Amino acid sequence: MQICPVRQTILFLEDQIGPGGLPDPRGQRISEQIMTLAEEIAEGAAGQTHLTAIESLVEEYEADQSPEPTRAFGKKIKQMITDHKEVFVSHIQSRNCPTSDCSKLAPSPCQMACPAGIDVPTYLALIAEGKDAQAIEVIRRDNPLPWVCGLICTRPCEMMCVRARIDTPISIKFLKAFAAERAMSDRAYVNPEPKPANGKKVCVVGAGPGGLSCAYYLALMGYKVKIIEALPVPGGMIMVGIPRYRLPREVIDREVAMIEALGVEICYNTRFGKDITKAALEEQGYDAFFLAMGAHKGWSLGIAGEDEFSRAIDAVTFLKDVALGEHHAPGTHVVVVGGGNVAIDAARTSLRLGAEKVTIAYRRSREQLPADIEEVEQAEEEGIEFDFLTIPKAIVGQKDQITGLSCIKAELKKKKGSDRLAPVPLEGSDFNIRADAVIAAIGQYVDDDGFEAFDRVSWSRRGTVEVNHASMETKEPGVFAAGDAVSGPATVIEAIGGGKRAADAIDRHLRGMPQPRMPRVPVRHHTEPVMEMSASQKMTLKAPKMPMLAMDRRRTMFQQVELGYDEKSVRKEASRCLRCDICRRCGECVEICRDKMGINALRLGYMSFDKQKPTDFRATAENCITCGACAANCENHALVMDEKDGQRRLLLCGTLLNSQAIQYCEGCGAKLGSVEYTRFIDKKTQDVAQANAGRLLCHECQRKLGARAGQPKGPISLV
Amino acid sequence: MELRRGDKIEVFQPSTDEAWEPYMNDFLGCHGIVTDPDTIVNDPDALVEVSLEDRGTHRLPQDSLRRLEG
Repeated sequence: MQICPVRQTILFLEDQIGPGGLPDPRGQRISEQIMTLAEEIAEGAAGQTHLTAIESLVEEYEADQSPEPTRAFGKKIKQMITDHKEVFVSHIQSRNCPTSDCSKLAPSPCQMACPAGIDVPTYLALIAEGKDAQAIEVIRRDNPLPWVCGLICTRPCEMMCVRARIDTPISIKFLKAFAAERAMSDRAYVNPEPKPANGKKVCVVGAGPGGLSCAYYLALMGYKVKIIEALPVPGGMIMVGIPRYRLPREVIDREVAMIEALGVEICYNTRFGKDITKAALEEQGYDAFFLAMGAHKGWSLGIAGEDEFSRAIDAVTFLKDVALGEHHAPGTHVVVVGGGNVAIDAARTSLRLGAEKVTIAYRRSREQLPADIEEVEQAEEEGIEFDFLTIPKAIVGQKDQITGLSCIKAELKKKKGSDRLAPVPLEGSDFNIRADAVIAAIGQYVDDDGFEAFDRVSWSRRGTVEVNHASMETKEPGVFAAGDAVSGPATVIEAIGGGKRAADAIDRHLRGMPQPRMPRVPVRHHTEPVMEMSASQKMTLKAPKMPMLAMDRRRTMFQQVELGYDEKSVRKEASRCLRCDICRRCGECVEICRDKMGINALRLGYMSFDKQKPTDFRATAENCITCGACAANCENHALVMDEKDGQRRLLLCGTLLNSQAIQYCEGCGAKLGSVEYTRFIDKKTQDVAQANAGRLLCHECQRKLGARAGQPKGPISLV
Repeated sequence: MELRRGDKIEVFQPSTDEAWEPYMNDFLGCHGIVTDPDTIVNDPDALVEVSLEDRGTHRLPQDSLRRLEG
């Protein structure tokens, strides 16, 4: 069967990359570059110059110095593109593959949801098999900080997890943390082999998740990378913004050490624009810049008294000081203003430092709290109190001693022209919260001080660096940016994904390759074999409960609160995955079973994103006749019909949906279907079956018998 | 409209916000889930992270999104 020429080209190229492929590094490099561009054409992410760039790269195969196999392969690819040029052009213009071959390898929803595009089902399958180091290798293709993310990721993957349509999402985050810790402990957490040095240098500003991610992927591509970091420690916000009870420092140190081991140099205590300038770096021969300075400035409350007291502080400064060793309680009665994750972190940190009472004052209701629900619950368990519908008016006190936070109660009302509920002060409802320290946690912004030298970089009205999100390139050629500097305060995984995308774009920029038209969809590298289990097992496996640190320690120490799953729980939880990398939930199997066969045995209501219905894998065995119509029509081989130990079995991504004993023809001994299948056929072919006199016969023997009895000889219809 | 984590949404119109890039027109009509609303303040002007079915995760202006029931 002929497949889409674009997909065919990618398959040809895949064979020529790596061991056993083209003999020369140059040929391999050309193949990699063409494959990247061809994949973008397949995904609908290609720009108008992609095909021209491929054609000129193809010419490079035939250079005089190329060995014969490389030249021959170049001719083959050239022929392929020449013969099917209109198909390539159609993919670029319509952003669609007419045969659907190019979309058959679309990633699972969890991988699609991950801003870094991690191949989640593959690494979960590896964890289920106990192959933790291999799982980490898979994760690090897209994210160089799996251990960090295993502890603090906001886990968009779990939001899109298809298993949540049945019961609860797979605990993807915690499984990743387990695998990283185990691999690190086993000394099996290793770096991939970087490409030989290409002589080019890139300067990264900021050693936060975005900067580290970009530096890691550039170092693997053979670039010399220097990171300029204003702080005395690596990690940026993950080190100085996230408290140690959520993310131990050792986790950051160990993963940063892996990146440094690739030759990445981090210059600490060096403020860009002050301690080192752009001009000085250009003189040193840096070919490109990547800006990932984060959003480290906290907004002030803008209320009376805020500038008068030394214990009126912003949460970013407070958390940074604590992270860098300042371990004095900010006060005895601490009020944190805000409702986001930073407010929760500041409150829980104050408690651990010895504050007697910590209150979070938030101007809206509990329902509108923007912080993660788990963080809020944990804070409340530890004794943090919340004052909802509370608007701060002034910090009061005398002689640098805060005595309270003057507030007014609010009610939520819709403003004209908006359906959002906004807090409106209730006249005469003024009250005072006792406090000797007030921490403002109402947002952060990017500090642009020192970046004036990038005079062609433009800034958005939100105070962030403007980029083209497909390439993370700013308006100044050769200058790229990502992370909070671009998005404003956002997630760690988004910064990591942006850093990876920027590394790819910097490489393209320095090689003269075209940039993608839109951010690329994640790439699936591999399909791990499925794990077999019964439908009952698959349905009844439940997500484990996270063991937590004892409450007294949670209120007094910075020890990690979430203690992690034990190994047995991890393996089981990983095997709960539905393997959406294999089953694309097209629903064809359900339709065929119900509409064509009239059986309706598949209760797979999770398949639709918009119209979800109940799912029960166990229900299949109640009506299924193991006819195989579903499996025969499954394009991705997610549903498989096989025979084992005299049983005909139906499996969906390894889950055994049904198993029925195979019967044999009494006439010739030929293999027949199950009792249920035969009964179904008999019912559909009653007129033919009458001649059988109740005997179990194959179609051929039935026909012979039917012919003798004067019955019709035509094919027996199954429908 | 206030978007919460886990809300089902549709990209129903192009935004006039400067953050709207031409490729985002490809997302019109796509359905998805809010994965990271503005977690600091409830700012109607904030860009919201959404994961779109078969389209990946992107940060989009709120005026391009509408909440779907259920």
